Amino acid sequence: MQRYWFGDIEDNGECRPFKGEPEEMIERCRSIESDMKAYMPLSMAKAVECSGISTREEYIGVLRKVCISLAREKITRHYSAGDLELIQMVRMLNELDHVINLLVERGMEWYIVKNPDFSRKYKNMNQKKVIGMMRRQKRSGLSSIAAEIDALSDKRTRLMKEISARAADVAPNCSEIVGGLVAARLISSAGSLRDLAFLPASAIQVTGAESALFSHLKGGTPSPKHGIIFQHRRVHNADKSVRGKVARVVAGKLGIAARIDYFRGEADEEFLEKAQERIDAVFTGGEAE
Amino acid sequence: MIRIGNVIVSEGRGGVYGEKILKGYRVWDPYRSKFAALARINEETDLESGWDVLYLGAANGTTVSHFADYVRTVYAVEFAPRPMQDLIEVSERRKNIVPIMADATRPGEYAAFVSEVDMVYQDVAQPNQADIAISSLPFLKKGGILILMLKTRSVDVCETPESVFEESKAVLESCGLEIVFTCWLKPYHKDHACIVCKKS
Repeated sequence: MQRYWFGDIEDNGECRPFKGEPEEMIERCRSIESDMKAYMPLSMAKAVECSGISTREEYIGVLRKVCISLAREKITRHYSAGDLELIQMVRMLNELDHVINLLVERGMEWYIVKNPDFSRKYKNMNQKKVIGMMRRQKRSGLSSIAAEIDALSDKRTRLMKEISARAADVAPNCSEIVGGLVAARLISSAGSLRDLAFLPASAIQVTGAESALFSHLKGGTPSPKHGIIFQHRRVHNADKSVRGKVARVVAGKLGIAARIDYFRGEADEEFLEKAQERIDAVFTGGEAE
Repeated sequence: MIRIGNVIVSEGRGGVYGEKILKGYRVWDPYRSKFAALARINEETDLESGWDVLYLGAANGTTVSHFADYVRTVYAVEFAPRPMQDLIEVSERRKNIVPIMADATRPGEYAAFVSEVDMVYQDVAQPNQADIAISSLPFLKKGGILILMLKTRSVDVCETPESVFEESKAVLESCGLEIVFTCWLKPYHKDHACIVCKKS
């Protein structure tokens, strides 16, 4: 027996169009998956005849309705997953960083024109200080723009906190191992929590270092040791001699954590404790295996 | 195909994506749509009004909407939710588009909704593009054509586009397809090749 959206066709060629309400028809279509080995393609004429619908136009009309409802349903289900908003939040954070940097740099150029004897050399100026300096420019458009940049930075900080909190909810194990922000960035870069859970640890280790990875694969350059996970303190604070090892172990544990997060969705204390121990051991150089 | 000068157009009423209108026809932009690029390169490219077409990798429905202006029915298969939203909008306005949300790499997901077609058109960003094309062959009528828009960079970035092109051609030929036309889609699309085959 072959199953089609409009009904079944028996092996002897007998048509059995589905009879029922439109909702039932859609319900039935949801579960159809054809076995391609046994699949028999239908001609349009045969399909129309078998469906019990009188004309080809009507047949296509009904089919369209069914397909559109099915697609709408799938889209809604897709967007209801918790990690999608998280991904948008991370991408917004990246855009904000980008924009704030551009604005501060441009503001700095403007500031220098107004204050010809100012030099940034030998001054330890973080972004906050630079913005403060620009804000003190009286009777200038620069001051109000600097105030705007300041407000934007505050919003960025708030967004960052929100992301950490959301990541702890969506991926509790990953967040516990590398912190919410890094976990969120990994999910965003993989595409979804599901995609992250299906990645091998070696891929997790180098996500975010794609350009280095591909230049390595093309030949010549050394392989990257870490991508996004470099932002985790256990990786960037590690001694250079063990940093690659730490990155590998962290990525390995993250791979397991992402799978627990995706399939179970709750923190696994026992696993986390062991993972942390192992990461700490490699970090301090006491790896024996 | 309808051509005004060397501009390829289609007949449908109402723009879909803010395209230019020329003498009441919708301009089919070769920089945007690979099929239009093919039609610019190969004068003999045609779409017949009686055809049913299976379109794998329909995306936003730009090319799909032009196809729908020419042919009888378009089965548009797309997997990603974001472009699917646009595709649904397009198919609400054109009664001969059937949007199917399914994975083009798994024909079993969309087989129940599709009947035999005269043409399979594939434009997907996947590593195994030739295999996907072959997996769609059961839906193609005898003598029907298969157009594969090969994104060589999606197959393998580490290989040269030329070698990917040759390999894909070999795969298609080994499955009994007759290759009738091939070209690169330069200058409209970089590193994209087009392979037109016939099912004998």
